[in-house]
Amino acid sequence: MATTLLDDRRAVTDPAGLSRIPLRPQPITAPLVSIRLRPGDEPLVAPGERVSVGDPLLRRQRHPQVAEQPLRARSASALAPGTRFGEGAELGGPGRRTLRYEGAGEVLYATPSGRLRAVVARHHAVVASPVTGTVRSLDPCALVVHAEGSALPAALAVGEPSHGTLAVAVDGPDAELHANRIDVRHAGAVLVAGSRVDIEGLTRARAMGVRGVIVGGVIGGDVVALRASIERQDASVHASPSFALIVLDGYGKRPVPRWTWDALVAAAGQEVGLGITPPQILLEPGAGLPAVDPLRVRVTAGPLLGRTGRFVRLLARRRRPAGVHLECALIDLDPVTLPGVVEQVEVPLADLERDG
Amino acid sequence: MTSDPHAFFTLDAGAATLAVSLVARVDGRWRLLAADAAPAGTPAEVLLEGLVDQVRAVRPEVLPDPDGWPDWTRVGSRTVPPPRVVVAGPSDRSTEALSRALLADGWNVGASITPERAAALEAAIALRDPGLDLVAVAAPDGLVGHEHDALLDVLALVGATAGLREDLPVLVAGRAGAGRPDLPADRVRRTHGVGDAVAAARDLVGERRGGWSSDGRDAFIRAIASLAAVLDLRVEGVDVGLDAGTRVMAAPDGVMRRLVRADAALVPPEAVDDQRFLDAIARWSPLADDAFAIRDRLRNLRVAPWRDAAGDGARLRLAAARASLERLDAAWHDPARERHHDARGADRLADPVPLAAPDLVVVSGGAFAVPPAPAVALAVVDMLRRPGAMALAFDHARVLAPLGTIESELDRRRMLAELADDILLPLGSAVVAPGLRAGHRGTLRVSADGASTSLPLAPGAVQVVDLPPGLGAAAELESPDDLFVGARARRALFRVTGGLGGLLVDTRDMPLRLPERPERRREYLDTWQRPFWTTAEP
Repeated sequence: MATTLLDDRRAVTDPAGLSRIPLRPQPITAPLVSIRLRPGDEPLVAPGERVSVGDPLLRRQRHPQVAEQPLRARSASALAPGTRFGEGAELGGPGRRTLRYEGAGEVLYATPSGRLRAVVARHHAVVASPVTGTVRSLDPCALVVHAEGSALPAALAVGEPSHGTLAVAVDGPDAELHANRIDVRHAGAVLVAGSRVDIEGLTRARAMGVRGVIVGGVIGGDVVALRASIERQDASVHASPSFALIVLDGYGKRPVPRWTWDALVAAAGQEVGLGITPPQILLEPGAGLPAVDPLRVRVTAGPLLGRTGRFVRLLARRRRPAGVHLECALIDLDPVTLPGVVEQVEVPLADLERDG
Repeated sequence: MTSDPHAFFTLDAGAATLAVSLVARVDGRWRLLAADAAPAGTPAEVLLEGLVDQVRAVRPEVLPDPDGWPDWTRVGSRTVPPPRVVVAGPSDRSTEALSRALLADGWNVGASITPERAAALEAAIALRDPGLDLVAVAAPDGLVGHEHDALLDVLALVGATAGLREDLPVLVAGRAGAGRPDLPADRVRRTHGVGDAVAAARDLVGERRGGWSSDGRDAFIRAIASLAAVLDLRVEGVDVGLDAGTRVMAAPDGVMRRLVRADAALVPPEAVDDQRFLDAIARWSPLADDAFAIRDRLRNLRVAPWRDAAGDGARLRLAAARASLERLDAAWHDPARERHHDARGADRLADPVPLAAPDLVVVSGGAFAVPPAPAVALAVVDMLRRPGAMALAFDHARVLAPLGTIESELDRRRMLAELADDILLPLGSAVVAPGLRAGHRGTLRVSADGASTSLPLAPGAVQVVDLPPGLGAAAELESPDDLFVGARARRALFRVTGGLGGLLVDTRDMPLRLPERPERRREYLDTWQRPFWTTAEP
């Protein structure tokens, strides 16, 4: 019989079965930050180059358009796809056969009917590095920076890579950030918004110059509205500073995971970057991360969503609502109201997340 | 595997969960001894050791050397997200057949680049997507006039991008535009037409990725074909995964039709930002939550599919699985799919859709692992609706795909012949017989082991007859009206077998008609499904 192997034969040292509980997304050391390039974008850095937070990485076209010019025989070979040109540049050499586009841009391709198509724009915005690191690769699709610090992975991100000073804007991981708590003092900051921020809060944050919002959960409809708002802003005459929404745990109202909350509180006042691809919070080199307790778990679904506690032991399958049978663990929940009173509950393994 | 193994593991690594099982020789034949599943990312070793411990605790004598389990053979399959392709061509009409062929092979077909659909800038942006695996250009013969000019324009654009992206292979289906110097020769493959384009596309991406990415889904299809041969039955296999849905119909002499669709995944990635897509899934939900909450719960099913599996979460999961089956069924019966251009450019029929109900439907996938078996049986009957009788089974340990990776057909059949009873959990049987008019009553008579029971047959209803697993019975339907059971008849007799869901006798319309008003629709769904869920809370 032929075989196909999925090999990962490591020694097992987990008699308690703790590793059956899903591990929360782990911090990444020296993460990669990718920035997608579009036709017409002009990289301002080269592979191997070192960049710091805020350094310009590329010039991005605003209101790009495709323009075409008749392609005269002599210019053909000099105008390969991908060739970049500045505003008013003469393409294909001087003389009668010169091509000139209104605006700066990039050659797309030559049509079989003898026209040269290029993507051009009169206005540009600069995309700044959200992180300190080294440009690892650059191709027509993406620019990738190898960051020097560490990253906290997130579930999703909306907007553009951004950076700013981290400010905790709510009292706890399960509090909501309301629009009326955001003002001009937060300009240039990245706000930690707790369990939820609505579209009014996000719109106000952008208007006040906030560079990003980190939140536990978001309503899906607000993500759609934020994307539309960003597109409208992009279509306006004036460029606005980059803005990113980082969602740590999923959709709906969801508290910021406790360990991540502690890490963010510890990083308050420091410069942080926000990566979109992949979604992540980028911390400076040397940023301290909270200690990990291997027995600490967090409830990720159901009525106890967001509660934390300590793993006691695995249980056999238990009958749960709707008559389904799921493997569970016994958890000592951290007290919420009465200090010292420990509540013991059975939680399905799949609705738990352990710290490490 | 060693020449004489006494036990081995199967592993099915999906996007959402990892399923493992332990198979060993007991009394001279292969038996499934234990199975488990956990969220993806759980170390396989933990699960495998757990299986060994379970068996050791109950019947230690069947595992002669349990401590040697780390060295036992592992038969595994893995599924990864479907590869992404952009289809380009001179017109929507010319790209349609190529898009459909790639969709039916499990590709995630993204943007369509035609003069009608995409301006040059959008096309260039789509072609520079870092996640793109392939560009497929439809270049059918016989193009004239503006279509020919449009094809040359598309080839120039694709060629310009391919010149910049050394990682992007290009497939050209058809001979039109041959001889143009636009495309880089080392990364372009040209086929005669759509007929051979799918295989060529697999080759191109397989070379890039180090193997065709649909391995687990292909293995499931192979296993269903082998199972049909072993059981000498027409077997239909349906698998709903996080990244794609698979459906295959096989007869004892081979696969009759197969379909892998990325858009038939439990909650496809594109659904997360598409409210209408989410609402189409939510149509099958009996939950009374508001639409915003349901959409967000469906989005979370994409983000962390293993969470929230009890209570309403289980009902919503099954609703999403129902919607996946609905999309699979729509693609299966898509009339536009019937014709495509073959390798010589001739118009011919694609694999015909098998019309008769299969003898056995096997469902697989984590989406069906949590809900009670009767609810799963009803979902299958509702969504893959065909008149007549069929048996229903569940690949509960997700063993079929791993066994499908066994290269030798003989070995695979031998293994399935011995394991079939263990790996196929009997959900029950279903008889779908619409046609009874309102106000009329028929009779259902079920006979087994010399005993017989008669029940009234009502129109537009689902009835469940308790028929335990393993018990064979005769189900006889009599009606004053013509029932549609494959043929029209007032009296029909079927051989059925029992299962956890018993015997389902379904006289509802075909296809199912649901009210458009959300509250009324939820009432209908709840009324039909409530008896199949255990509602008592712990």
